[in-house]
Amino acid sequence: MRLNCRIPLATFELDVDASFDARVTAIFGPSGSGKTTLLDAVAGLRDIATGEIEIGGKTLFSSARKINLSPQRRNIGYVPQEGALFPHLSVRRNILFGAERIVHAAGAKGIGMEHVLEILEIAHLLARPVTKLSGGEAQRVALARAILSRPQLLLLDEPLAALDIGLKEKILPYLARVRDEFAIPMIYVTHNVTEVLTLADWVLVIRGGRLLAQGAPKETLTSGRAVREIPEEQLENVFTVTFVESDKAAGRSRVRLSSGAEIFVPYLAQADRPTFQIRVSADDILVGIQRPEGISAGNILPGTVRAIDMIDDQALVSVDAGEDFCVRLTTGAVTRLALDVGCPVYLIIKTRSFRLL
Amino acid sequence: MFQFNRGMHKSLSVGAVFFVLAFTQTTAWAEEILVPAAASLTDVLKEISNGYQAKSKHTVRFNFGPSNGLARQIEEGAPADLFLSADLTQMDNLDKKGRLEPGTRKNLLSNQLVIIVPADSKLAISSPKDLLKGEVKKIALAEPTSVPVGVYSSKYLSDEGLWDQVKPKVVPVQDVRATLASVESGNVEAGFVYKTDAAISKKVKIVYEVPIDKGPKIIYPIAIVKESKRKDAARDFLNYVQSPAAKETFKKYGFVILD
Amino acid sequence: MIFSFETWQITLFSISVGLASTLLILPFGIGLAWLFARKEWPLKSIVETVVLLPLVMPPVSTGLILLKIFGRRSPLGQWLYERGIEIVFNWKGVLIAMSVMSFPLLVRSVRTSFAEVNPRLEQIAATLGASPLRIFFVITIPLAYKGIVAGALLAFSRALGEFGATILLAGNIPGKTQTLSLAIYNYVQLGKDPEAYTLLGITVALAFLFVWCSEWLLRAERKN
Repeated sequence: MRLNCRIPLATFELDVDASFDARVTAIFGPSGSGKTTLLDAVAGLRDIATGEIEIGGKTLFSSARKINLSPQRRNIGYVPQEGALFPHLSVRRNILFGAERIVHAAGAKGIGMEHVLEILEIAHLLARPVTKLSGGEAQRVALARAILSRPQLLLLDEPLAALDIGLKEKILPYLARVRDEFAIPMIYVTHNVTEVLTLADWVLVIRGGRLLAQGAPKETLTSGRAVREIPEEQLENVFTVTFVESDKAAGRSRVRLSSGAEIFVPYLAQADRPTFQIRVSADDILVGIQRPEGISAGNILPGTVRAIDMIDDQALVSVDAGEDFCVRLTTGAVTRLALDVGCPVYLIIKTRSFRLL
Repeated sequence: MFQFNRGMHKSLSVGAVFFVLAFTQTTAWAEEILVPAAASLTDVLKEISNGYQAKSKHTVRFNFGPSNGLARQIEEGAPADLFLSADLTQMDNLDKKGRLEPGTRKNLLSNQLVIIVPADSKLAISSPKDLLKGEVKKIALAEPTSVPVGVYSSKYLSDEGLWDQVKPKVVPVQDVRATLASVESGNVEAGFVYKTDAAISKKVKIVYEVPIDKGPKIIYPIAIVKESKRKDAARDFLNYVQSPAAKETFKKYGFVILD
Repeated sequence: MIFSFETWQITLFSISVGLASTLLILPFGIGLAWLFARKEWPLKSIVETVVLLPLVMPPVSTGLILLKIFGRRSPLGQWLYERGIEIVFNWKGVLIAMSVMSFPLLVRSVRTSFAEVNPRLEQIAATLGASPLRIFFVITIPLAYKGIVAGALLAFSRALGEFGATILLAGNIPGKTQTLSLAIYNYVQLGKDPEAYTLLGITVALAFLFVWCSEWLLRAERKN
């Protein structure tokens, strides 16, 4: 996909030029950086001053060649922030609203309604009036509606922003499922790092209408530039793990990282799937130059310092412990421990610091 | 100082008394009277009153309109001093209700009924029977059940046996001047007005004059209103209206003087 | 009170022409309201002002303008007359006077309703492949229908109460152009009070009906 557009906005100008080809491309940045405008432009809901938008070789918009396909003809599914379900139609009619669309060759994925309902677990909601849906249910219905219009591209505008944390953690897996099951390319707008790390294969970092960086999520988001965009609490490490066993008495479960190393995470009654994702904040990881004794932390992982990034008062330390861990320390800590690239260190992480996704 | 003041005081007070007397003497004479009068008299009465006001201290204010509407207002207590109606019905009505000053009622004028068409009309209308033609779609008439000119016209058409066929084409309007205006606008094909009304408009032409002997007896009575507070001034104007000068003006406009 | 043939004829006439006028302006009012609510276009503010004028000017002024436009001496009046269409002193004049006077009320009400429909919903419908026509009839109108109905009710009752423009353009011809308002005026002028009071009673009853209907609509709205 090729995205090049210049849109003058109220307080700044959105100016983005990027090419990418991924299952899920995240557009990451703080609120007000023009992300929604970008999505609107891609969907054809917004005028672009100059630019080009191309998907799968097909030009949706070109100011130079005077091409501007209407939203109807762009074959793009849009899940806006507020869900925007049609309040006067039932769930069923909402979901099937776009299903009569002329099937675009590239978008004909042959997705059946039952399949979508099953994946998103909304079959039981079909007859319910839209106004009686909970936030999470509404989002899933909006997702189903977009998918069933057989788009060649899905746009999601901060789909989890309006949900509380518990709900976010519940819906995120659905999004992952959509990504895995339906193979429709997605552009996913968010200011939440976890979502990017969990779902995206590629990320565009935008601030003030400018493209700051793009690349693989983990590297890009832990780069010095990106850190400035991320609010304090949100620097996360996300790992895909395999379930090994649970120990109720000890209050923990054991899982295996892709590197083979095993770690302890909070007790899981059962894993509904053999592999899943866990996360741990970069602020919750301690670094020790010696293996500590007599402490409560259940995970002590040996590793080597790969990189150190000093940014203002923070230090981003990348540690290779089989998997790449991003740790945030104070610059003082780095100096005190005399940390340097190549240093052997121990990562100390409480069992309970790991959160399940 | 004291002595000077007293003398001054005396002449000042005497002067003041004279001044007040003179002033009130003048205002005691000058009145403004209100005269409701039939709409057909609009132009002629204005000219007559100009002549009157040049000679008299009094002023005259008119209220022109359909005689039935004006009579109703007087009945409801409007502050009128002198009333000039276009038919006897209205005057009789007020008389029965005791609203007229006894001994002041008099039949003043007469008029003639005419059929008019717009000045640029190409229709061939030369008699009342022509009003039945298909090309004559609308005929303006002041409210045929109550306004004098409308009552006169409908009675005339009735006597000629034409009313039933003419009635569906009738557009009832407020008074004779409204009738004139309708015909001038061209929105109706014909209308009934007094000859005196047709005379003042260049936008209409007379196609038929209802013969005085065949047509209705048109009589304009005049009377002083009993509840008038300015009867002297009213009487003064009433007399002027019957003066030779006024009669000449009436004749000039086409009215017939009744004696 | 006298419920004569005339009474019913006048009432029926007023209601049917009022209904016809409301139905006549409905498609134009809805269309124009949508253009006002959703689009920007050159001369838009001028058109907005012109549409609003009959609401703000004295009805007789509007009536006079209509008389000048449709009178037989005007180009339009002449053109219509040659084709056998008469507007002045005709029920068609009543229809036009009612339509013109009630049009701004309809447009205002519908425009507000359209403006309250979240444009996002229409946009999403577009991305789902719905044509602008489908969006209008399946999304916009159903979501705005309460304002449309309220506007129509308002327009209808305004049409029934029309006097100033009607009397100038259509005249007060019994049996032909006499509406409830015109008839009441006529009866009072002629001193026919019992007839006037009968019609007064009918207009009051109709007004009650309207207010009740719009209140009912509002209540239904609040329930949702």
